[in-house]
Amino acid sequence: MDNQKFPIKINGKDFDAIQGQTILEVAKSQDYEIPSICYHPNLGTIQTCDTCFVQVKGELVRACATKAEPGMEVDTLSKMVKDAQYEAMSRILKNHELYCTVCDNNNGNCVVHNTAEYLEIEHQKYKFEAKPYPPDNSHPFYRYEPDQCILCGRCVEACQDLQVNETLTIDWEREAPRVIWDNDVPIDESSCVSCGHCVNVCPCNALMEKSMLGEAGYLTGIPANMLGPMIDLTKEVEPGYKEIFAISEMEAAMRKARIKRTKTVCTYCGVGCSFEVWTKGREILKIEPTEEAPVNGISTCVKGKWGWDFVNSEERLTHPLIRKGEEFVEATWEEALNLIAGKLTEIKDQHGANSIGYIASSKCSNEENYLFQKFARAVMGTNNVDNCSRYCQSPATAGLMRTVGIGGDAGTIKDIAAAELVIVVGANPAESHPVLSTRIKRAHKLHGQKLIVADLRKNELAERADVHLHPKPGTDLIWISAVTKYILDQGWQDKEFLENRVNGLDDYLTSLEKFTLEYAEERTGLTKDEMIQIAAMIHEAKSVCALWAMGVTQHMGATDTSTAISNLLLITGNYGKTGTGAYPLRGHNNVQGACDFGTMPAWFPGYEPVQDREVRERYEKAWGVSLPEEPGYDNHQMVEGIHKGELKALYLFGEDMALVDSNSNYVDSCLEKLDFFVVQDIFFSKTAQFADVVLPAAPSLEKDGTFVNTERRIQRFYKVFEPLGQSKPDWEIFRDLANLMGAKWAYTHPGEIMKEAASLAKLFSGVSYERLEGWNSQLWPVTADGTDTPLLFEERFGFPDGKAKLVAVDWTEPFQPGEEYDLFLNNGRLLEHFHEGNMTYKSEGLTHKVPHPWVEISLELAQERNIEDGSLVSLTSPYGNVEVRAIITDRVKGNELYLTMNTREDNEAVNKLTSSYHDKVTHTPAFKEMDVKMEVLELKGEPPLPEVNHRFGNRIPQISVRVEEKWKRDDFTPIQDLFRGDEYGQSDQAN
Amino acid sequence: MAKAIKQIKKKNHNQEEEQASAVASIVKEIANNSDAILTMIGIVKNLHEMGALDTISALIEKRNDVGVIAIQQINKPEMHKTIKNGINTFNFLGTIDPEQLRTMLFGITKGLERASESVGKKENQSLWQMGKAMRNPDTRATISMMMDFMQGMGEGMANVPTNKK
Repeated sequence: MDNQKFPIKINGKDFDAIQGQTILEVAKSQDYEIPSICYHPNLGTIQTCDTCFVQVKGELVRACATKAEPGMEVDTLSKMVKDAQYEAMSRILKNHELYCTVCDNNNGNCVVHNTAEYLEIEHQKYKFEAKPYPPDNSHPFYRYEPDQCILCGRCVEACQDLQVNETLTIDWEREAPRVIWDNDVPIDESSCVSCGHCVNVCPCNALMEKSMLGEAGYLTGIPANMLGPMIDLTKEVEPGYKEIFAISEMEAAMRKARIKRTKTVCTYCGVGCSFEVWTKGREILKIEPTEEAPVNGISTCVKGKWGWDFVNSEERLTHPLIRKGEEFVEATWEEALNLIAGKLTEIKDQHGANSIGYIASSKCSNEENYLFQKFARAVMGTNNVDNCSRYCQSPATAGLMRTVGIGGDAGTIKDIAAAELVIVVGANPAESHPVLSTRIKRAHKLHGQKLIVADLRKNELAERADVHLHPKPGTDLIWISAVTKYILDQGWQDKEFLENRVNGLDDYLTSLEKFTLEYAEERTGLTKDEMIQIAAMIHEAKSVCALWAMGVTQHMGATDTSTAISNLLLITGNYGKTGTGAYPLRGHNNVQGACDFGTMPAWFPGYEPVQDREVRERYEKAWGVSLPEEPGYDNHQMVEGIHKGELKALYLFGEDMALVDSNSNYVDSCLEKLDFFVVQDIFFSKTAQFADVVLPAAPSLEKDGTFVNTERRIQRFYKVFEPLGQSKPDWEIFRDLANLMGAKWAYTHPGEIMKEAASLAKLFSGVSYERLEGWNSQLWPVTADGTDTPLLFEERFGFPDGKAKLVAVDWTEPFQPGEEYDLFLNNGRLLEHFHEGNMTYKSEGLTHKVPHPWVEISLELAQERNIEDGSLVSLTSPYGNVEVRAIITDRVKGNELYLTMNTREDNEAVNKLTSSYHDKVTHTPAFKEMDVKMEVLELKGEPPLPEVNHRFGNRIPQISVRVEEKWKRDDFTPIQDLFRGDEYGQSDQAN
Repeated sequence: MAKAIKQIKKKNHNQEEEQASAVASIVKEIANNSDAILTMIGIVKNLHEMGALDTISALIEKRNDVGVIAIQQINKPEMHKTIKNGINTFNFLGTIDPEQLRTMLFGITKGLERASESVGKKENQSLWQMGKAMRNPDTRATISMMMDFMQGMGEGMANVPTNKK
């Protein structure tokens, strides 16, 4: 019966319904209006507002909760329906004062306003009654005004079942119900992660962005002593709501003249959320997501929803800077670019093209990465160009290139949500990829998805998982291989899939011989039972997705572990179908795109090798130059090259290498050795301190472009503001510099750059700005006619014969600095800050929630070493030393520490401790392989994490808003009981 | 060798430069729109001479205080009635068929003409004359219309829409 279409009649007119759709969904899918307030397409049916009553077979039913059936006849116009809807709306207006014209939510999209207007409410049946609660303004970013809250429960549904943070509930027990946070604590002190879901879905002004208050409307900035009487006056003289609505609509239309709404794509991780930015002048009023956004719908996270203050920060670079003696001096663009052009030419002439390195940015656009590699290759004649995926994701890409031939996520976020089993290895998506993790949490909570998390820390997903594995650090390859071997030993492999679609089985089987459960138990610390359970869960699941991130890729054996994961998926046939595949979770907004568009030493855009003569000739012809054929240096080799004296100059943009590269002391000493160093950034970063010329760049909100998210999805972002001061979009800087060096590039808009890239790289043949207009997106490969590929490998894998390859791999023992370093050092990102925090610390609210980095210490270790929350400890590795304050938590176990990376201070930065050891294949540093010794410097001190942080909250999990409890209240009369036939009863209501 | 340094020397004249460029862009706009600007200056000059600018400026400066006083004055029962009556009258006008009203008003105009003639004569009609006038078709038309009007008004008064639906 799935997806079977049948007709139903609404008011005598035929509508196509699909099996499983509700009456409301049928109507909405065909743009037919049935009023509704609590229903939201991203949330589903909630049943609290009662405005969607319709008549079926003479009875009143909720259109949102009644499934369409073949031959059904629905009446939405009868007197009984109108009376029921009027009753429902009146109950809502008892909870909500209509002062639309002086309300900041009157922007044309207020659901309560629009529904009341649609229902032609003239007067209100029940008098508005204020609730006995003051507004909650405790949270830095949003407020809750109980007086305006209609108790529809959208916010609760979003918090419980979409974001699945489980903070909000409605307390239906009390005399005047309201939304409460945790056990009724102020919002700021609750488990709220500030993701913004509740505010995004609120159908009125009860939950609002504080940045909107008093700013959005023409009359909303009125002080309270004037506003109160004005509302009274309006209500006193109101002839009916029709006139009020007419005025509020006019005012809403006027607001459009000064509030600009621009679509953008978030830059805080690789998930690729898109939303509108609402601005007034240079002021950001709010981030407004929409259900049309292909990845996130109305979902956002704390950084994407609130973290944009950095754009207008006083600390932005607004002029080029040139090093003169012991200081930087502001310069004109002409001076700066002339100096760069002169110096680069001089060094190239003297030491050769390969004496200069180019480091690109995974935060900048595809077009900018394309132009940068074109600059390095075509203007400067070298393949020494790389991007910061080298620090994180290259091993995952390499592992997939080996086994399935394409280095990208196999499917989309929808596949992850649809999988029967999700395995997460060495990743913390709830903090690093928050919106993606919500889809896992939702599927796990509501739809029976199974979840296995392998991680040293009991992170949020681990807490929620069916199984949380805690292997010894750096041993993932072993247990994954052992599980794979066990599956093969049981005969649980997908024989048909292996037969038809996979090469290399025999050699692979031989390589697995050593990975017995006994061997794995000894090396990983996991029990045989645990591994057998994992194997059985994989066997029982019809579809499996494997997700991983830095816990896998920042090891010496990272490419091999990534390969082992892909091998496991191949053995079990988990590729090429909905709900299956490998998903390395890209950490930056454009890690994928930077690699896709060619800032890699061995690849042209679209992963075509520079050594391939045919490919090279294609680019030589298009660009009118001859191109170097040998692959260039990657980031790691560039640092080595400086050390050896081979690399004399470096041009880097959008990357804080001095902080984020491993073994900072060593990297810093190399940067000091450069003859000439250009840094292009929006802030004066740590890396910029080593530069000879610093160029002020413009962030995503100040330019047009495209990003590729972790799903391989190409999305456009649009310019919101003009660049601040004299800063410029990176692509303009490259163009101007190239032209100064004789390139004659005529680009006037990034769309032209994309057009050129699409004409040269086969992977993007059909990509164009026209096809990417608005909320449209394309997932590569894109054929010339614009057909994209949401799910890879349905027919063939990315090798010439279309078959995947099983690749034998062996375990690489992690680096250990020696006996005296007795504690394992884990490290990573956290929810509230992006990396070192150059951008996110510019937000007062984010800094209020998380002001400092910290080190997590286990309960056992804290007891053993006498350490408490707030103690200052020093951590020392063979490479350096840091001093941070401690948080004692059961998220970490035994002798494993976790150091957060949200700092710009040298003596707190984790990379003062990490080494230069690296993945054998891709040279990605082994950030996750370090042991340290710890010394307590001060026992007492202020805890680094304030109490107003969600980590100290107390979640209240439940499914949805529990409308049944509302229905059970003594003062609630079901509307359908009031209007049976013509005998209308009297009503009480409690909504 | 380039040690990490944090010292940034901002050019002092930057602010002057920025001011100069801001002024330049204003001058350019003025030059491009000289007619409009000159007219505006004329208006401003007159407003200033009238003293209106002082008043407006004070009103703007004290907008909150003035606003509170104004809203207090307006937020009184008499004003509520005035506003409601205003709105009702406005709504009433909206319900009238313009053609009907035109006919009526045309009639009233004629009626007024005759009425003022009669006032001019300073001579009242006798009862007999009035009786005779009733036979006049024009008078009968008006009276029968008045009768219909009164019937309709009675009907309307019996069915005033209540404010509670």
